[in-house]
Amino acid sequence: MTSAVGRLGRVGLSSYFTLLVLFLYAPLVVLVVFSFEDSYIQALPWAGFTTKWFHTAFANTDLTSALRRSAMIGLLDGLAATALGTMAAVALARRRLFLRPLWTTLLLLPLVVPYIVLAIGMVIVLHELGYQASLSAVLVGHIAISLPYSLLVVLPRLRTLDPSIVEAARDLGANPSRAFMLVTLPLLAPALVASVIITFTISFDEFAIASFIAPPGSPTYPVFLYSGTRTPSLEPQVIAIGAIVVALSMVLVLSAEIGRRWADRRLASA
Amino acid sequence: MSAVGSRARRSASFLRPGSGLLILPPAVWVLAVLVAPIVLIGLYSVNLKTNLLGVPTAFSTANWKDFLPPGSNPFWDRFKISMTITIVVSVVTVVAAYPLAYFLAFVAGKRRYALLMVLLAPFFTSYLLRVIAWEVILNNHGVINSLLWDLGLRTRGDGIPWLIYSKFSVGLVLFYSWVPFVAVPMFVVLDTMDRSLIEAAHDLGASRLTAFLRVTFPLSIPGVIAGFVFVLIPTTGEFITPLLVGGPSSFMFGNSIQSFFTDTPNWNYGAVLALWLVAIVLVMLVLFGRYLSTDLEDAAT
Repeated sequence: MTSAVGRLGRVGLSSYFTLLVLFLYAPLVVLVVFSFEDSYIQALPWAGFTTKWFHTAFANTDLTSALRRSAMIGLLDGLAATALGTMAAVALARRRLFLRPLWTTLLLLPLVVPYIVLAIGMVIVLHELGYQASLSAVLVGHIAISLPYSLLVVLPRLRTLDPSIVEAARDLGANPSRAFMLVTLPLLAPALVASVIITFTISFDEFAIASFIAPPGSPTYPVFLYSGTRTPSLEPQVIAIGAIVVALSMVLVLSAEIGRRWADRRLASA
Repeated sequence: MSAVGSRARRSASFLRPGSGLLILPPAVWVLAVLVAPIVLIGLYSVNLKTNLLGVPTAFSTANWKDFLPPGSNPFWDRFKISMTITIVVSVVTVVAAYPLAYFLAFVAGKRRYALLMVLLAPFFTSYLLRVIAWEVILNNHGVINSLLWDLGLRTRGDGIPWLIYSKFSVGLVLFYSWVPFVAVPMFVVLDTMDRSLIEAAHDLGASRLTAFLRVTFPLSIPGVIAGFVFVLIPTTGEFITPLLVGGPSSFMFGNSIQSFFTDTPNWNYGAVLALWLVAIVLVMLVLFGRYLSTDLEDAAT
């Protein structure tokens, strides 16, 4: 039997894969390395090792309050988008639903409409309604863009649930909403947690909408980051915080993956 | 009243009757936050509404006529430059990602899911931070230039002119951002491919190259197109990467739209550009949408 790839091909493809992975991680490594750089300017040769930028960053109340704002908006977005996404998933999981293609298209639309259009659209709507730019408006926008992600996480899980379990609850006398709360919802829990985490991340990192809608005096964390890159004296702090965020998200992604594999293996052996 | 029997009843039995109405809150949310604003943008684009003082609101297609060809217009030129960047980036990304997917599907063996995760992990970190990191690497006194100075390969203080604020830097960062993600649909297609077809080609005397060109590659085309669309659509509306690592020569169409709502507010003209961008994305969806089958669409059929 001839395998699909020859020996030379294997070596070539492996080297290429390795090189590309190095390319993908290089900027992240640069961010971490230069967060310990003594000089204001991120350049070689290295001026010396310091942890002072982490101290300066956390002492900068503009930065910490921007982080707090984004964490708050992200959390509310995670909860609201997951609630709305789950509602949509429950409706779409029905065998019959009036105008289904219309709803599907509508709910997936935020995945493809450019954020710049969404952002200026919201600017216009706020103007028409006579509202000021506000963090609540940012949240409203973030919920709209997060909703399809929540739906795409929750719906597949909902589909895999065994209807007979819920039927059993019904036969034992639970009314439909009790059966949903006591049986369906707990079985959905892993998907709901995943949805909250994913939508939190989307909001926490979102720049386009926030840059138009967040009030100038209270930027979200990405908006602060951006303005930080335009201000040389702030850049080292931006990089220090960036290094922490990158390291944390790497740990989160990898532990989620390891956790998932562990759970899969346990389920497989059970 | 456990209605055993009817399959329809069974599959929907964990849902309350009338649960279809649950579609309304999320649908209304998207309508209000996404669709209604686009309708308003439409009104602005034909001057039925305006933010300009002293300009009467009356239906007019003047802005559309000004923007669209024939006739020369800097924003139409910007659109063409932007689409060129988008298409070049999309093609290069797909070409570069294919061998990654091929490696994972045919060489990596049991470790392929772990290695896919290694490939994707940077994609899950902050987009803005990754672009900022590239700015640190590429800028005029940045990591690459200062390294070249230290090595004596360039005169100190003399940065490579095209390294940043250029089409190169914008293209590079967009490529960087999308290449792992684009590999995913191609990996899925290659990984689930019926291997016996390739074996059959070999049994019938095909060389590895012939088997790839005549069997494997044609079968993987849906994944290739899906990957292409995965980078094409978001890049069409891109404005953050050019904002950070681009310059006047490499600003994209999204930056033109942005400028009409920030620096020189003229919402009416900006609305024309925004609506044009939406139209282009919708055309792309009509052309390629069937390659982006999601779980939701499977349900719809």
